[in-house]
Amino acid sequence: MTLYFLKRLIGIVLILFVMSLLVFGITQIMPGNVATILAGQFADASTVAAIEQRLGLNDPAYLQYWRWFSGVVVGDFGQSLVMERPVLPLILEAFASSAILAGLAFVLVTVFGITLGVVAAVRENRFSDHAVSVFSYIGISVPEFFWGIVAILVFARYLGWLPSGGAGNLNDGVLAWVSHLVLPVITLTFTLIAHVSRLTRSSMIDTLRSQYVRNARAKGLPEGHVIRRHALRNALLPTITVLAIDVGWLMGNIVVVEAVFSYPGIGRLLLFAIERHDLPLIQAGILLIAAVYCFANLIADILYGYFNPKIRYGHAAS
Amino acid sequence: MKKTLYGALGALATAMVALTQPALADGTLRLAIPSNINTFDVAKTKLGEEYILNFLMFSGLTEVDGKGGVKPDLAESWTASDDQKVWTFKLRPGVKFHNGRELEAEDVKATILRVMDKATGSTARVNFDVVDTIEILDKTQIRFTLKIPYAGFAEILGDRQVRILPRDKMDTVATEPVGTGPFMFKAFRPGDRIELVKNPDYFIKGEPKLDAITIRIMPESAAQVSALSTGELDLVWSLPLESLEQFKGSGDVVIDSVPTSTWDGLIMNSAVPPFDDARVRKAVALSIDKAAMVDFALYGEGTPTHTMIPPSHPYYNSELPLRQQDLAQAKALLAEAGHADGLKVTLYLPNGRPTRERMGVAAREFLKEVGIDAELQRVPWDKFVKEIEGKAGFYADGFYSRPTTDTSVYPFYHSTGSWNTQLWNYKNAEVDKVLDAARASASSDERAALYKKFQALVEADPAGAIPYVQNHVNAYRKNVKGFHSSPMMWMDLRQTTVN
Repeated sequence: MTLYFLKRLIGIVLILFVMSLLVFGITQIMPGNVATILAGQFADASTVAAIEQRLGLNDPAYLQYWRWFSGVVVGDFGQSLVMERPVLPLILEAFASSAILAGLAFVLVTVFGITLGVVAAVRENRFSDHAVSVFSYIGISVPEFFWGIVAILVFARYLGWLPSGGAGNLNDGVLAWVSHLVLPVITLTFTLIAHVSRLTRSSMIDTLRSQYVRNARAKGLPEGHVIRRHALRNALLPTITVLAIDVGWLMGNIVVVEAVFSYPGIGRLLLFAIERHDLPLIQAGILLIAAVYCFANLIADILYGYFNPKIRYGHAAS
Repeated sequence: MKKTLYGALGALATAMVALTQPALADGTLRLAIPSNINTFDVAKTKLGEEYILNFLMFSGLTEVDGKGGVKPDLAESWTASDDQKVWTFKLRPGVKFHNGRELEAEDVKATILRVMDKATGSTARVNFDVVDTIEILDKTQIRFTLKIPYAGFAEILGDRQVRILPRDKMDTVATEPVGTGPFMFKAFRPGDRIELVKNPDYFIKGEPKLDAITIRIMPESAAQVSALSTGELDLVWSLPLESLEQFKGSGDVVIDSVPTSTWDGLIMNSAVPPFDDARVRKAVALSIDKAAMVDFALYGEGTPTHTMIPPSHPYYNSELPLRQQDLAQAKALLAEAGHADGLKVTLYLPNGRPTRERMGVAAREFLKEVGIDAELQRVPWDKFVKEIEGKAGFYADGFYSRPTTDTSVYPFYHSTGSWNTQLWNYKNAEVDKVLDAARASASSDERAALYKKFQALVEADPAGAIPYVQNHVNAYRKNVKGFHSSPMMWMDLRQTTVN
C-alpha cells in the first residue's frame, strides 16, 4: 500500500511537471505577451521593448522556464507581472475561497446525488423516479450562468432573501458569511447532480436485480437493511469514479459561477491572469487545480479499494 | 403543518436578511465596478476602473473639468512664458501625503520622470515627449522647459497617470498606495472589494464628506442591477447600456447620463486597398446613418458627431452640417472608383466590446444598400491588438475620452501621431498644419477656430467613419446626494453624501 501510494505520488509530480511545460508552451504560442498588455493599446514598439527587457521576456524560452522552475522548487512562485505582488498569497487566498464553495457543492452533490439515485432506483418507473430524472436533467441541460442569473433574480432581487453576490466576511457574523455562499453552492450543485444521481440509479438497479440481493431478501432481511448494507456498498463503486471526475467539472463550472456571483475565487483569478498573459499567476493557478484533480483521483482509487477488497492494491489484498 | 413550515421558513428568511446586511457606519458609500483592477500604480493604470481610484486616492498638479477647462489641484497657480515653452508651477503649501510626509517639488519631478521612463510603460508617456528639462526652483516651485510650444501643458498634468506620488514609495505604490487624495487606502481583496477611508488631512477643508467607500467588483450586470435595486449597493459605475431599461420609471434609482468624448469608429486603413482610395472611404462614410447607429449600438445613449470632438465641447464645429446618409452619392463614388459591380470586404470586430460589435452589425446592413458586401469577423482582443489594428483594411475600434482636445485628436489624425500608424495611416498635409498650429496656440479662440477647421477638413476627406460619441451612465439610489457623472468617466466623490 505504501509503495503504491509512493508510486502514485511520483506520478502526480511528473504530471504536474508536464503540465507546467504545456502551460508554458501555450503561453508562448498565444498572440501578444504580457508586455503588450502592460504597455496598453497606445504603446509604440520601443515601449513594449523596454518592458520586455525589464521582465526578461527576450531571453530564450528555456531560460525563462528555468527561472520560473528553479523558483518553484524552493517554494517561490514569483511575482504577478501585472499586479506586482507575490503570487502565492494571491493564489492561496483565492483557492481557499473557492475550496469552501467547491467543497460545500461537492458534499451536497454527493449526499443528494446518491440519495436521489437510490430513491429513483428503488422506485424504478414510479412517480418519484421520473421526478428525480426530470429534476436532474433540467439541472444539467441548462448552463450554470443561466441558473445563476435566475437565482439572483428570484432570491436576491424579487424575494430579497439573499445577497446578489460577493463573498461574506466572517467579521460580519457567520450568517452573513453563509448567506453569500447559498446561491453559488445551490447553482453548482444543481448543475452537477445529474451525473451522480443517474449513475447511482442505474448501478443500483443492476445491483438490486443481482443474485445476492435476491438471496438477502430471501433470507428475510428487512428491505432497508438490504438496500443500505448489501446493495448500496457495491452500487457505489462507479459513483466514486464519477465523483472524482466531477471534481474536474466542478473546477470548470466554478469559473462561471464565480463570475456570475462576483465571488473572489481561483476561477476568476485564473481568467484574469490568462487575459493578461501573466505567466507566473497562470502557472500557479493551473498547477494547483491540476494537483487537486490528481489527488481527487488518488483518493477515489483508495476508496475503491476500501469498498471492494477484491481490487485492493499492492500487498494489502493478499 | 405545511403552513407552519412555510411560516417558519419565511421568518428565517426575514431574519437572515436582517442579519446578512451588515450594519454600516454612517456615510459609507457602496459602489460597484465591473472588472478587477490590475494595479494601484497610477502610472501603469489603463482601465476605467483603475482611474476611479487614481482620483479618489491621489491628486494631480492640475484638474481638468472635462469641458475644456483646467483648475488648480496640487498646484495653486502656474505661469507660462509667452512662447508657451517654459511652464512654472507653484505647489499648495503644507499638503501632506497619507503617510504624513509633506509634499515637495521633488516628488512632482520624480513622478513625471518615472512616467517618461519607457521601462515604466505608462500610456501617458507620449504626452510628455514634449518635456525637455525639469528644474526644482525651491520646495514648492517647479519649472518645465518644453521642446516645442505647447499650450495644453497644464491640462496634461491633470491626466490619470500623472497623479503625484511620494518619491520614496514608488516601488510599493502598486500594492500599498500612498497619495494626497481625499480618500486613503484601507484594504484590497482581489476580485472582491477595495475599501477606502476618509483622509482627515485632505487639503480642501470640509471635504470629503463621506467617511468611507467600499468598491465592490461585480462582473455580472444582472448581479449589479439586482444589488442596486435591493439597496445592497448605492451606486453602479458605468452601467451597461443594455441594462438601462430596467430602471426606467424606478422610484428608488436615479440614472445619471452624461455625454463623453469616448468614441467608436469604422476604421479604414489608407495603406490597404480598396481603402487607399479616398472615394471608397467617403462612400462608406456616406452610407452610414449616424442617428440610427446611436439607437442600435448605444440604445440611444450617445450623440452623432463629426469626429471625436463631441457636440457638447466648445471646439465642436456646429456650423458644419452633420453628414447625412446619402446612398446615391455613395454609389456614384464607388462607381467612379471602379467598384460599380459592388465590393467584397471583411469587417473585423473585437470580441467582447458590445457597442463596437453592434456598430459592425448595423454597418453591414447600411453597406449592403450601396453594394458593399461586408463579411463580419469577430476576433479575440489579443489577436485584434496584435494582428488587426493598423494592419487590416477595415475594422471597428474605439477609444476612451482623453483630457485635452490635443491628446484626443493629434495622435490619431496627425501623420506623425503616435496612434495614426497603428490605426488608419491617414495623411493629409492640411490637417497636419492645422493640428500643429492648434497645439502651439495660446489663445483659446484661435484654437477653437483651428479645431473647427480640422473637423471640416476630415469631413471632406474622411479617415474612417466616426458615427457617435457615447454617453457615460451611472445609476445611484435616491439616498446618494451631491454626485455627478463625469464626462471623463472618472469619479469625484468629494462632495458626495449618503444617508
